[in-house]
Amino acid sequence: MRTRHFLVLATIVALALGTTAGVPTLAATKLSVIIDTEANRADEAQAIAGYLQQVGIQADVRIWEWNALKEKLLAGERQLYLTDWGSAYFDPFDIVVPKLRTGDRGNYSFYSNPEFDAALDRALAARTDEERARAYREAQAIVMQDLPWAFGYTLLTIEAARSEVQNWQPAMDGRLNMHDVSLSRGDTIIIGMGTDRIVTLDPAAYRDRHTETVIRNIFDGLVTRTWDGNVVPEIAESWERVSDTEWVFRLRKGIKFHDGSTLTADDVVFSINRVVLEGGMGDGMTSPRKGLLGTVQRAEKIDDSTVRVVLSEPFPVLLQAMVHVQIVPMAYVQSVGDDGFARQPVGCGPFRFVEGRLDDRVVMERFDDYWGGAPDIPPVGPAKVRRVIFRMMPDPTVRVAALMSGEVHIIQSVPPHMVAALEADSRIQVKTVEGTTAYNLEMNVAKPPFDDIRVRQAINYAIDWDAIIATIYENNASRLASPFLPSGFGYDPTVRPWPYDPAKARALLEEAGFSTR
Amino acid sequence: MIRLTKLQVRVVERIIATIPLALAVAVAAFVFMRMLPGDPVDIMMGEAAGVAQGEIEALRRQLGLDQPILVQLSNYLKGVFRGDLGYSIIRGRPVAEVIGEAIPATVELAVCAMVISVLVGVPLGTASALKQNTALDRATSAASFLGISMPPFWLGIVAILVLAMNLGWLPTSGRAPYGYEPRHITGLFILDSILTWDPEALAASLRHLVLPSLTLATGVTAVVVRITRSSMLDVMRADYITFARAKGVPERAVTVKHALRNAMIPTATLVGLEFGSLLGGNMIVETIFSWPGLGRVVVDAIFAQDYPVVQAAVMVYALTYVGMNLITDIVYTVLNPRMSI
Repeated sequence: MRTRHFLVLATIVALALGTTAGVPTLAATKLSVIIDTEANRADEAQAIAGYLQQVGIQADVRIWEWNALKEKLLAGERQLYLTDWGSAYFDPFDIVVPKLRTGDRGNYSFYSNPEFDAALDRALAARTDEERARAYREAQAIVMQDLPWAFGYTLLTIEAARSEVQNWQPAMDGRLNMHDVSLSRGDTIIIGMGTDRIVTLDPAAYRDRHTETVIRNIFDGLVTRTWDGNVVPEIAESWERVSDTEWVFRLRKGIKFHDGSTLTADDVVFSINRVVLEGGMGDGMTSPRKGLLGTVQRAEKIDDSTVRVVLSEPFPVLLQAMVHVQIVPMAYVQSVGDDGFARQPVGCGPFRFVEGRLDDRVVMERFDDYWGGAPDIPPVGPAKVRRVIFRMMPDPTVRVAALMSGEVHIIQSVPPHMVAALEADSRIQVKTVEGTTAYNLEMNVAKPPFDDIRVRQAINYAIDWDAIIATIYENNASRLASPFLPSGFGYDPTVRPWPYDPAKARALLEEAGFSTR
Repeated sequence: MIRLTKLQVRVVERIIATIPLALAVAVAAFVFMRMLPGDPVDIMMGEAAGVAQGEIEALRRQLGLDQPILVQLSNYLKGVFRGDLGYSIIRGRPVAEVIGEAIPATVELAVCAMVISVLVGVPLGTASALKQNTALDRATSAASFLGISMPPFWLGIVAILVLAMNLGWLPTSGRAPYGYEPRHITGLFILDSILTWDPEALAASLRHLVLPSLTLATGVTAVVVRITRSSMLDVMRADYITFARAKGVPERAVTVKHALRNAMIPTATLVGLEFGSLLGGNMIVETIFSWPGLGRVVVDAIFAQDYPVVQAAVMVYALTYVGMNLITDIVYTVLNPRMSI
C-alpha cells in the first residue's frame, strides 16, 4: 500500500516539476500575458487585449497606480506594460537615450544592444549636426529591428480659443506665448490652465511644464523656441561654439528688468550658475533644474555683454536646453532672497507679475519697457494685451464650459471627445499640434516569452494601432514608427509604421512554439 | 482662582485629550505615507528630461529623505512640537502657509453648504413628518432620494453646463473674478466683503458660491431631511407628546417646543459629522469648480507624495473632527439638559 501511495505522489511531483520547468510537452500551449496599465489607458489596454486574443494569445488587463507598477516593472516582475515618456528637447537625447540605452533610467524593457548603445554614444560625441543625425539614424534602424516595444503614438495637443483671440498658435512644447496674441475685444486675456496648480514663480525651483508655461511670460531666456521647436535668439543676439566644451553668447544691449534695472552679463551668469552649481540657490539648495542643463558646468562673464558657458563634456543639445533657463536680475534676487523672489518675481519678459495664488490664478500686466522679444517670432514690441490671467482649472469639462460662456479666452488640453462640439461653435477656434510625449507598449525583453524576437514581432503585427487611434482617441493622435519622435532631431522620415497583419502574427507565434487556437 | 463650571472643566479636559490623538495621527500619517511605493523626488523628476541618478540622490539628500526613517520621524515630531510643520517638497513653501491659504476657501464653502442643508432640510423633514403620507411627504421623500443618489461630480457638471454655460446665469468656476475680491482680512470672501463693506465683491462672491455650495449641499440636505423626518415621527409618537396635548398645549407649541427640540438630537449628530467632513474639503467639488480649497491641496499632495503637507493635513482633519464632536456634544446638552458630556 505504502509503496503505491509513494509512486502516485512521485508521479504527481514529477509532472508538476516538469510543467513549471518548461519541459516541452506534446501539445504546445497558448501564450498567456497580462497587459499592465494605468487607469487612463484602460480602454486602450482592453482593445489591445482584444487584438492579442484574435491571434490566439490569452491576454488580460490589469490596472495599476503608476508608482506601484513602476516598482514592479523595475524589479523585472512584469511582462507587458503601457508606458509614456515625454521629451522636452526636440532631440532623441531626452527620450531615446534614457528609455533604451543599456541600464538607463527609463529603460523599463531591459533592452540592451551594444551596437545601439555605440550609435547613441557616437551621436552624443558628434562634432557636426550631420554626423549626429547619421548616428541617430543608425540607432533608429537597429532598434526597429530589435522591437523592444510595440511602437504606439503621440497624442495631439488640443487647445481652443475664442474667436476674438488673434495670432494664437499652440506650441509643441506646451508653452502659451501671450506676448504675440491680441484681442479684438477687451484687453485682458484669461487662460484656463489644465492643471491643479503650478509649483512656483521662481525659474530655478521647478521641473514641470505648466509652471514654465506661466512664468515664461514673465521671464525671457538667452534663446527661445518657435511653436514648432526651432531654437531662435532671444536675449542672446548670437552665439558661437568655441570648442566642444565652450560656447560664447553675445547679449543684446539695453534690455530692462521689470524693476527698471538693466540686464548685464552678470545677471545671465548668475541665472545659469544658480541652476547648475551644487548649492547654487540660497540656503545651499541645488536647483531641481540642474539636470536639464546636462553637462553645463558653469557660466563666466567675459565682458558686460558676453558670456561663456563651460561644459564638462560635449552637450549637443545645449541650445535646446538653454531655452529652459530664464534670466533673473541678480541684484534683486540677492536683496530679497529666494523666498522673497518667488513671492514677487521680477524678470525681463513681456509681462510683469501683479499677484497670484499658485492653485488659483496668476495675474500679470504688460511691461511697457519690454525690449520687444525674439525678432524671429513676430510681432516685435510690447505685448498687445494689457493683462493676462492664468486660471488653474483642473476639470476639462469645466474649462470647455468656461470657454463657451466667455469666462476664459484660451483653454489647454481639450478632451478629444469635445472637439466636435467646440468646432461646431462659430465663436470658438480649435487648434492642434503634435505632442512630444510617446505612448508605447513595452515588453520585458530580458525574460521569456519576450526575449524571443518572433514573439515581439508577432505583438507588433497583432495590434491595429490605427483603429485604436481612430476609435479611442478620435484621430487626435499620430502613429509612431519607432521610438524616435518625428519632431525630434535626426528622425528618419522614410521609416514606416509596423503593418497590422494578424495572419503573420499567428505564424510567428506558432514558429516560436505557441499554440494559437 | 478661576472657578470653572462642570461643563467648562469637561471641555478643557477634552481639548487636552486631543494632544495625544493629534500625535498618534501624525505618526500614523508619517508611517503610511512612507509605505507607498516611490518617493516625492521620483515623482517630481518623473520622466523629466535628462535626470541623472546622481541628481535624484542629491535631491533626496537635500530633503533629508536619505536618512533612516526613525531619524526622519523624530525630526518631524520635534518640528511639530516647535510648531514647525516643515516645507512642502513640491511647492517649496512652508506647509502652514500652503494649508492656511487653502482653509478659508474650504470653510466658506462648507459653511454655506451646511447652512443651506439645515435651512432647507430641517423644515422639510419636519413638515413631511407632520403631514405623513400626504403628497408633500411623498414628494419630499422622492426628492431626498434623488438628492442622495446624484453624485456631486455629475450634479456639478450638469449645473455648470446648464446654469452657467447654456443659460449664462452664474459663473462656471472660481471664487470671484479678478478685481472683485474683497480686501483680505479673514480670507472668507463673504465675511471680508461685509467687513469692508464692498457690495460689488459681496455680489460677486455670492454668485460664485451658488453652484458649488448647492452641489455640495444637495446630498447633505437629503440626508438631513430623512433623519429629521424619521426622528420627528418617533418623537411625535412618544408619551410626553400625548401628555402635552392632553395638558392642552397648543399644537404649534407641541411640535416646536416639545417635539422638534428632541427630534433635533440625531440631526445635530449628523450635521456635526457632515460638517466635519465638509471642512476637510471636498476634492471633487473643489476640482470641478476650480475652488482653491484644502481638498485639492491634499489630494495633489498625496499623488505627489508631498509627505509634510499630507501629514499636516491629516492632523488638521483629526483636530477638525474632534472639534466638531465636542461642539456637537455641547449642542446636545443644550437640546437635552439631561445629557452631559
